[in-house]
Amino acid sequence: MSLTKLIPSPTQRLSERSTPAAANAASAADKPLVAVQSAAPPYGHRRGWTPRRQEDFGDGGAFPEIHSRQYPLGMGQPQSASSGPTLPMTLGADGRVNFDAVVRQGQRADKVVHSKFSDLLPKPIDEDDPSFQRPDEESIKDLTEKTRDALQRLVESKAAASNPVRSAERTGPAQFIRYTPSQQGAGYNSGSAQRIVRMVEAQKDPMEPPRFRISKKVPRGPPSPPATVMHSPPRKVTSKEQADWKIPPCVSNWKNPKGYTIPLDKRVAADGRGLQGVHVNEKFVMLAEALHTAEVKSREAVSMRAKVASRMQQAQREKHEETLQQIASRARGERAGLAPAAEAAEAAAEARERDAIRRERAEQRAHERNRKGGGGANDRDRDISEQIALGRPALQRNQQDPEAAFDSRLFNQDAGLASGFHAGEDEIYNVYDQPWRANASSAGHLYRPTKGLEEGASADEELGRLASGTGRFVPDRRFEGTGGGAGGSRRDGPVQFEKQVEEDPFGLDDLFDKVKRSETVGTGSKRPASGHRDEGGSGRKRDRRD
Amino acid sequence: LTAQIEPVQPHSVHTLVFRSLKRTHDMFLSDRDCLPAPDPTADKVRQAVKARDQFGPVLHMQSSAKTARPAAGKQAAIAAAPAGSDGADSNSALIPASAASAASQPASSADPGSAAASAAAANTASVQVGEERMLVPKRAPLMPKPDWHPPWKLYRVISGHTGWVRCVAVDPLNRYFVTGAADRLIKIWDLASGTLKLSLTGHISTVRGLQVSDRHPFLFSCSEDKTVRCWDLEENKVVRHYHGHLSAVYGLTLHPTLDLLVTCGRDATARLWDMRTKLCIHTLAGHSSTVAAVASQSAEPQLVTGSHDCTVRLWDIAAGKSLVTLTNHKKSVRALAIHPTQFTFATGAPDNIKQWKFPDGQFLQNFSGHNAIVNALALNEDGVLVSGADNGSLHMWDWRTGSCFQRHTSPVQPGSIDSEAGIFALAFDRSGSRLITAEADKTVKIYKEDETATEETHPVNWRPGLLKKARY
Repeated sequence: MSLTKLIPSPTQRLSERSTPAAANAASAADKPLVAVQSAAPPYGHRRGWTPRRQEDFGDGGAFPEIHSRQYPLGMGQPQSASSGPTLPMTLGADGRVNFDAVVRQGQRADKVVHSKFSDLLPKPIDEDDPSFQRPDEESIKDLTEKTRDALQRLVESKAAASNPVRSAERTGPAQFIRYTPSQQGAGYNSGSAQRIVRMVEAQKDPMEPPRFRISKKVPRGPPSPPATVMHSPPRKVTSKEQADWKIPPCVSNWKNPKGYTIPLDKRVAADGRGLQGVHVNEKFVMLAEALHTAEVKSREAVSMRAKVASRMQQAQREKHEETLQQIASRARGERAGLAPAAEAAEAAAEARERDAIRRERAEQRAHERNRKGGGGANDRDRDISEQIALGRPALQRNQQDPEAAFDSRLFNQDAGLASGFHAGEDEIYNVYDQPWRANASSAGHLYRPTKGLEEGASADEELGRLASGTGRFVPDRRFEGTGGGAGGSRRDGPVQFEKQVEEDPFGLDDLFDKVKRSETVGTGSKRPASGHRDEGGSGRKRDRRD
Repeated sequence: LTAQIEPVQPHSVHTLVFRSLKRTHDMFLSDRDCLPAPDPTADKVRQAVKARDQFGPVLHMQSSAKTARPAAGKQAAIAAAPAGSDGADSNSALIPASAASAASQPASSADPGSAAASAAAANTASVQVGEERMLVPKRAPLMPKPDWHPPWKLYRVISGHTGWVRCVAVDPLNRYFVTGAADRLIKIWDLASGTLKLSLTGHISTVRGLQVSDRHPFLFSCSEDKTVRCWDLEENKVVRHYHGHLSAVYGLTLHPTLDLLVTCGRDATARLWDMRTKLCIHTLAGHSSTVAAVASQSAEPQLVTGSHDCTVRLWDIAAGKSLVTLTNHKKSVRALAIHPTQFTFATGAPDNIKQWKFPDGQFLQNFSGHNAIVNALALNEDGVLVSGADNGSLHMWDWRTGSCFQRHTSPVQPGSIDSEAGIFALAFDRSGSRLITAEADKTVKIYKEDETATEETHPVNWRPGLLKKARY
């Protein structure tokens, strides 16, 4: 609120030129120091003068006698419109500088470009505001029609290329235009002020092929200027986030189409083995500890037991020795007739030594015996591999000599070049040149029943006993009295043959028999007078013709 | 005078300093940014004193303020408009108090004090800077109170497809809806009962876009096998193919008034087809990456496309050129929705869902909170915006205020794993009361508004400044 509003406005406008002195001063101040010439000097007096402004040319052109560059009406002046990368600063309607001139350069002025900060700010929806409401039906209809026409034209031009040739299109009616040229005068237009122009559409020849080649490929023009970016720059990705999105390369356990050689650690990593955690149950540790303690304890117990036992044994032995010594001393005493105690002690010691020696010698003899072996029960019970390990020949029940215990083929074998080749003969069949069980020693490796066997008995005897002794193995028991020959219970073999009694109708055989008997009766043959003939006996099924 | 001197309470220096600091703080904090309020009586007294001192002898004459008032009134008429606006636009000019007061009360006295008081009651606050007193528009409230909408609940699940269901379209007469899936089938379902009416085979790859025409008995479908087919629904067979796309076709839309078909695809173009002659009228190039979404309307601009290069373009289809490019999104724009009655639209991207105004693509506000890849948007006439995301979540927003009133994730159908939750397409039926969802667990889910819910049972969860939403 300024105070000047409180007082009335001045009634007389006092000018600065009211006093003559002041007026002079003002007029002097008004006068320019240099007189400005409004127009060019006349022809002939232009020496040393150059036109500087557009007004100096007046309404004429350049001055040919002035030898300097002149651009009357700005014609021919090199365009400074593309004057480097600078744009002129302009002010907008609201008085502020147009900072988006940079963004809008090269585009038409009414193109919508969002470049201000206010374009980013949120605005509320005001339902009453007409700009938020859809345009009315009429304007939409107009727009639809316009769009339809535009698009229809495009479609037609595209479709026309493939249309068959039709008759010539009718040209539109002629248009008449009244034209008033700017240059008027008696010399122009034969004196008339206006002209009438008749505009006619040029006729198009329907059969004409296209006039211009449009299949030529022309590079695309420059794109429209880029739109302003109306958001903040993207945030920098932290290394953790980058690591989160990292996808490991796919290494398949099944397919490898390009045949890449991938190191083992990468193959394993692809399995996901690094991601698994190996969890061992704690009870394994507990078990191991328990086992360890149990072992230790058992060892302790065993050793203690052994110690105790050995101590007991020691005590027993000593006691036994003591008794023996006592007996020996008593015996000595009896023999020597109660010899003094000191001598008895010496004698006892000597006796003990001798006993020890005897014992040793007995042990050695037993060892020798064992080493030598013989047909002891031990050898028989041992496994063949043990016998081999002991180096003893496998002797049988028949107690054959030890020399025959080894196969002679095992000795004097030289696996040198001399052996095996046989001078190139490969038809030699010498694998089976000796019987398999040439000596009875190998027979012992086979199973023979040992149970219930008396020493010295052979298997054949036993078999005979089994066959006849026990009543278990009786070939099919027949009824008594059945069967032929000696009561029917006699069997000669597994297959019982029946003698086929030949029918003798004429009694010729009897005749022969009689004759023979009569001849041999005297000689005292012991041939039994039975039907059983040895010559033609068994097996003869037919008459034998002599 | 024995003044009763109270014994001074011993305090530490720290306490004394702190107390004095606190007292200062309490006294002056509220007035920190404000200049002292103008005191009209004090001003008057001061002015009177000064006037008497300077112009004592001439005060009795008529002052020039009264003669100058009509001129001031003229000035005010020119610059009057934005005085009463409640916009948060900080670019609006600061208006001299005299002009504003003259505009609001031209007939009353030219006392600036009273005018300031009345103007302050409105959306402007009067601030004195030096000699000038100015009216500064008060900031608009951060979040206006949102409208109440009933919550949406799932009421039907339809399984029949053997692949992801990628697109949905609804019949103009609301009898049936059509779904296209990754099993290359197009299935037509009855809307009321949810039973299958028809299966159409013919595509050789996933069906990505569907639209039923309201003016012809045609169904249009587009697929990842680069084909766009027109099915005659009376004969249930394909009658037209639109050939020209160089790569998978991701979106399809029909112009509401013209016989035009617009498709967009992975070859970074949107193509405008004449329905009858199958010709490609325009190939709208300009995007630098896959065009994922397309929407059309009858008013200018007639086509909107959203692309994986994070831009949204508004096109002039008569010329085949883009009018405006909106670069506000930071991530791929996969979803678009145009409001049926208002002249606004929404775009969806993983960073934000944004609301815009036609015809210039003026940014209005953000719907922030759905931090997932938004695959689909659908708008209701009641002002409900639904956004469906790649992780199966559905957010329901109030269109006017931008607040989310419901977040819903429906469970996947039994037999599907949890990662198969995802929504590919959304469509409201023609009445706006049923929401059809095309999902990645091979089902179609239908939602409706909960009738039993009221404002008391499901109150609006709102407080001014409750949600710090992204401002731009």
